[in-house]
Amino acid sequence: MTRAPEEQTMTNIPPAGAHAAGSAASARRNLAAPTALAILLAALVVIPTAIGNPFVYHVFITICVFAGLSTAWNIVGGYAGQLSLGHGIFYGIGAYCGVILVGVGVSPWIGMFAGAGIAIIVAVVISYPCFRLHGPFFSLATIAFLEVFRVLALHFREVTGGATGLMIPLKFGWAWMLFRERLPLLAIAFGLLLVTLGVAWWMRGHRIGFQLIATRERESAARAAGVDTVRVRLAAVSVSGGLTAMIGTFHAMYLTFIEPAAMFSLTLSIQIAMFALIGGIGTVFGPLLGAMLLVPITELARGWLGASALGLHGLVYGVVLMLVVLFLPNGLMGLLARYTRPRAAPRATPGPTAPAAPRAERPPVGEDVVRVEGLQKRFGGLHVTNDVGFSLREGEILGLIGPNGAGKTTVFNMLSGFLKPDAGCVSVRAPDGTWRDPGSPGDFAAIGVGRTFQIVQPFAAMTVEENIMVGAFHRSADVGEARAVARETAERMGLAPWLDAEARDLTIGGLKRLEVARVMAMRPRVLLLDEVMAGINQTDVRRAIDLMLSIRDTGVSIIAIEHVMQAVMALSDRVIVLSSGQIIAQGRPQEVVRDPTVVEAYLGKEFLHAHA
Amino acid sequence: MDVFLQVLANGIMLGGLFAIVSVGLTLIFGIVKVVNFAHGEFLMIGMYLTYLAVTGLGMHPFAALILVVPVLFLMGALTQRLLIQPLLAAGDHHIQIFATVGLSTALINLALLVFGADIANTPPHGLRMPVEIGPVRVLVGQVVILGVAAALVGALQLFLARTRTGRAIRAVAQNRAAAELMGIDVDRLYALTFGIGAACVGTAAVLIAPLYPTSPNSGTYFVLIAFVVVVLGGLGSIRGAFAGAILIGLIDSFTGFYVSSDMREVAVFGVFLAILILRPSGLFGRQLRQSHVSP
Repeated sequence: MTRAPEEQTMTNIPPAGAHAAGSAASARRNLAAPTALAILLAALVVIPTAIGNPFVYHVFITICVFAGLSTAWNIVGGYAGQLSLGHGIFYGIGAYCGVILVGVGVSPWIGMFAGAGIAIIVAVVISYPCFRLHGPFFSLATIAFLEVFRVLALHFREVTGGATGLMIPLKFGWAWMLFRERLPLLAIAFGLLLVTLGVAWWMRGHRIGFQLIATRERESAARAAGVDTVRVRLAAVSVSGGLTAMIGTFHAMYLTFIEPAAMFSLTLSIQIAMFALIGGIGTVFGPLLGAMLLVPITELARGWLGASALGLHGLVYGVVLMLVVLFLPNGLMGLLARYTRPRAAPRATPGPTAPAAPRAERPPVGEDVVRVEGLQKRFGGLHVTNDVGFSLREGEILGLIGPNGAGKTTVFNMLSGFLKPDAGCVSVRAPDGTWRDPGSPGDFAAIGVGRTFQIVQPFAAMTVEENIMVGAFHRSADVGEARAVARETAERMGLAPWLDAEARDLTIGGLKRLEVARVMAMRPRVLLLDEVMAGINQTDVRRAIDLMLSIRDTGVSIIAIEHVMQAVMALSDRVIVLSSGQIIAQGRPQEVVRDPTVVEAYLGKEFLHAHA
Repeated sequence: MDVFLQVLANGIMLGGLFAIVSVGLTLIFGIVKVVNFAHGEFLMIGMYLTYLAVTGLGMHPFAALILVVPVLFLMGALTQRLLIQPLLAAGDHHIQIFATVGLSTALINLALLVFGADIANTPPHGLRMPVEIGPVRVLVGQVVILGVAAALVGALQLFLARTRTGRAIRAVAQNRAAAELMGIDVDRLYALTFGIGAACVGTAAVLIAPLYPTSPNSGTYFVLIAFVVVVLGGLGSIRGAFAGAILIGLIDSFTGFYVSSDMREVAVFGVFLAILILRPSGLFGRQLRQSHVSP
């Protein structure tokens, strides 16, 4: 029960001066980053045109193609955290679709979109069942799909030409994406890269990007925040697969010859992912950097050393990849960030601000908003919830207490859709007054039930502000509005000084407050709080009690699992005591704590007898 | 009927081949919980070493065991120590996958630089001789592989079940932190496990080299099949992997004969995907029961 004091409160407060220095540096950074990016992108066009050598053109076109592929991959592999090693599927679909259509007289500009369409369908169909796979299993499944596609492309030789491959008919001009000179090809490759970067950049800055990263970091917390995790991931694979296919069509036209082994290639799929990792996985421009650094190595090795250096560039790739993984896991972007970004410093003067605004009159307790009837749940032979039923009224605080293992969290999981009860039901009254029986966590979030987790579930790689924004996006798709809500909520929770800090840097007290802030940003009507006061110090408990009362006074109904009796007594209008899955007592807090059954459940019969 | 029996025998022999390649991977996957994409390249390097020992030193292929097995044990242990160990703390599967993918890429291309793209054929020393067992004909080398695979599975089972080190390895696999608290040197055991896994694939390499051509890409095909087998058998279950390997061998053989030889991979990977999606704990693996876990 005792914890180190520094764990209990957020004491890591740097001096106030850090703020000014930080903002000056950030202003410089705000200008430096876009300038550097513009120079990099301009270089991709200017260098080859200035030199005019066909081989240099070839290197830069290849950079654009791979940077584009890698950026598109990053939407799934980086943002969504689904490490696909089968992106060759989409690349191959785009390539084959384009070339086959050119064969029957359709311009690759149309074939490009046809390929993207098919790739999107394939992406959705193969990804949907794979989402339940995690970590390496997802990667293995994508590889298996890739192999299946390659073998099928070899098998159906009437369509694909089989192992002999397909040549594109030599029809020149813009309509056929085929030119005698190199500049138009570079222009198209560069254009595709810009489109892909634009899409990736847009996604990262909007609701979908936040939701994807939240899903990657903590799937259950994202679902509790009302994110439809399946839908956002399907959106990500669709966009990523579609863009990959479009680049695939162009690359096929550029190569003028395609075959299954080169199109549905594991090596290519790995390379795409590798560039993103080396550049900085999950960042918008990391894949571009990775491709710009590594593609020239391959092409120069091929161009200068020829067959004598067979395998040399692959060896370099492999070694670079191992070194990056070992010493630079955040890639080049991580390295850049280390030198340019000041450590996330609090923006305001130290000391969490007291959240309690002068309290308004408490609104009267209204009618029922949640009804729980006859809940049953068994885990194997263990009967964890046995005929639990109660109701929660509007604007009321209901304390849920009971010894360890009583089944409190299990009840919460059924009240928020994370567990299906074996029997019984949970009904919630919608704002329009009708009663609904939500099923999934998404349904519960939609109807206005928000929850926190006993074991905190922050989106570790996101800042405090971004964490809260994920909750705010439940109400509004607008980034500006979500940011405003997040700031306001952070202010109220005393988290304002840490808005820019990454969630992983917060102490346990801070993380507990962040849990509440994230769910409050959803503006729930019913709030389920699972031990938000455990492990925080006395001052913070006092503050948290005030906070919960002020939340209640805005008309929110609260069910709180709590072990801190001081809080239970001060807050609860009613208390329910759970023991071994059953409700053993309920009523006003003062009555319940004197109930002999309750004392027995907590302290045992002997204690009761000794005091009798 | 004779054809059917021949196809069946081919399937079982193929299964033995897949089993001997997969045993080491099962051990590494099940205990260190790392997906070793370089497993196939360990096999490939073992095959080249066998080739060099047989052609260069004039050894019998089986005698190459005394050279290949220790070298691969060392390679495995070093991979664990230098590449995987530093990444275990990160707990991030992405990073570990990329690490072994990097190793795999580097090893394939190193072999390409050293040996070139040409195929190396290890002299068979009579291992490609057919033997007739009833109505079916199989190769001597295939029978040896099946026998050694079965023996290896039995030996590893005994080792894990009966010896002190084996028990410690199983404890680490169940719960790393708890094992560490019981005074088990987890890092050493991981290196040992990785080494044993690599040594197993070294054994496989020695037996496979006389029967199959060796090239820098030899490992790629085998590693994919090995992953199929490991998942099918249930993570870390060595007996499961053996059964899974035989099953995959049969599917491969029957599809090849009765459907079309180029659809074998589609059938094998199709089964793999179905198992992965519908029954992720594998055909023979036990479901992990986690009764009370906060989501």
